Amino acid sequence: MKTQYHLHLSIVAIASCLSGCLRLDDNLFNANSNKIEKYELNNYKGEVDFTLDASYTIPSTLVNLFTINSKAVDETMGTKIYAVYIGDTTRIATDTVIMYCHGNKDHMDFYWPRAQLLANTSSKNRYGVLMLDYRGYGLSEGKPSESGLAVDVDAGLQWLKAKGLSGERLIMYGFSMGSIPATRLTAEPRSLKPSRLILEAPIASAEAMVQDASALALPGSFFTDLKTDNAALIKGVKQPFMWIHGTEDDFLNVRTQGEVVYKNYGGSPGNKEPHLIPGAGHSNVPVYFTFPKYLQAVGTFMRK
Amino acid sequence: MRRTLAASLVIITIASCAPTRFVKPLAKKQQAVNLSLGGALIKYSKLTIPMPFVTATYGYGIDSTLTGFGSLNLTSLLAGNAQVELGLTKQLLHQKGVWPGFSITPVANIIYRNKDASKLYPQVDINAFWEYNHKRNFFYLGVSNWFELAGKRAHDQQQEHRWIFSPMIGETFVRKKWDYNIELKIIAPNIANNSNVVGYKTPFGTHGAFGIYLGCTRKF
Repeated sequence: MKTQYHLHLSIVAIASCLSGCLRLDDNLFNANSNKIEKYELNNYKGEVDFTLDASYTIPSTLVNLFTINSKAVDETMGTKIYAVYIGDTTRIATDTVIMYCHGNKDHMDFYWPRAQLLANTSSKNRYGVLMLDYRGYGLSEGKPSESGLAVDVDAGLQWLKAKGLSGERLIMYGFSMGSIPATRLTAEPRSLKPSRLILEAPIASAEAMVQDASALALPGSFFTDLKTDNAALIKGVKQPFMWIHGTEDDFLNVRTQGEVVYKNYGGSPGNKEPHLIPGAGHSNVPVYFTFPKYLQAVGTFMRK
Repeated sequence: MRRTLAASLVIITIASCAPTRFVKPLAKKQQAVNLSLGGALIKYSKLTIPMPFVTATYGYGIDSTLTGFGSLNLTSLLAGNAQVELGLTKQLLHQKGVWPGFSITPVANIIYRNKDASKLYPQVDINAFWEYNHKRNFFYLGVSNWFELAGKRAHDQQQEHRWIFSPMIGETFVRKKWDYNIELKIIAPNIANNSNVVGYKTPFGTHGAFGIYLGCTRKF
């Protein structure tokens, strides 16, 4: 009897645990699966998507780690988030800056090689790069949320604006989940209006993700309250747009996710360019692109 | 962005969140209540377990070859979706020697969240079954078929998969008041599982998912 009771209890416990996860909203965020005590950046030895050789190293004098107070409309105090600026902060008023919106995993240390790579676009440190940890990521305070993504990125843009940056010299770059704030803030600018948008492996919408997973045309709301719909938002983007996607992306399908965003772009057809990278998956596009060609493509697009 | 979204396995298993309801019809005017537990295999923490979908079913023997039933998916209910099944199991052929009995089970799967989010999925299960041990047990082989009626999916894209089939194998232990059932199912083996947000735990590599279901039935 006691064994039977324990069995029933176990079943109920497992069912309860999983039923608590039945809404997928929190599963969008995979912050801090590898926790950090402090940011290591150049010295980070944990898991990353790819590593760079010494030629891409950023001098420590150009690595600026700081905090920003990110305040949503419904917040009274704001949330302390961490950011890193690669470049000379005294020259932001005259530099071109890439706002890099990272993906859903871990923290800035995990994405450091990607930001580092972009800081080598065209030539070493020709462009500044700002990356930040959304609330709940890395050492940033708070809890991740869909609306918090754009709020936090805009807090970064406010910081850049305060340093003298104008929208004409701002390039928005979103990778994977980072495509959510990148697309939103390009289509519906808040503090600064970006002059260009680059999306790598973007999400089309929460509903498209549900349908990819189910193979059925299910309403997204069956499983998620997320409102993400880049496929609709991109219709409002008129700035030049670059789309990069691995043809073998096994997480965000190139056809049902990225291509939908690309096709819905609201600017003139001559202002958008696709880069489909044969053989590349979700996390290794720059590797399959090869770093020099990736940087050349990004650099050419930025100067167009 | 890679992550095994264990919870999102719920999604695909919506098309296979329960074993076949009745393989062999109930006796005329017989009633039965069934509780089943199981679903596609998922990685949960460091364990591989079947997704614990819980469904409750009531069945009634309309005559000796036709059983009507209704089911409620209790796990979907926890997620805020009312998922019910209404169906009939009709025995088409009786077992003769080594030749199995055959039954067909048409089902209407209705999922309702709100006025803007509801779906109907027709389902047809076909089973061949062999009774043995003086009809105390039966073994069955079958295929479950779900049909997507919508031709378009999000963003006006073509709905690629209109038919999702899942071959299954099962064993039912028949007792006087209680039946016990185990079923193994290969869910959608024709659909690649490596090009979307979900990571599946399946011995079949890049296609489909693998489901395990347990059930018990109280007959009245």
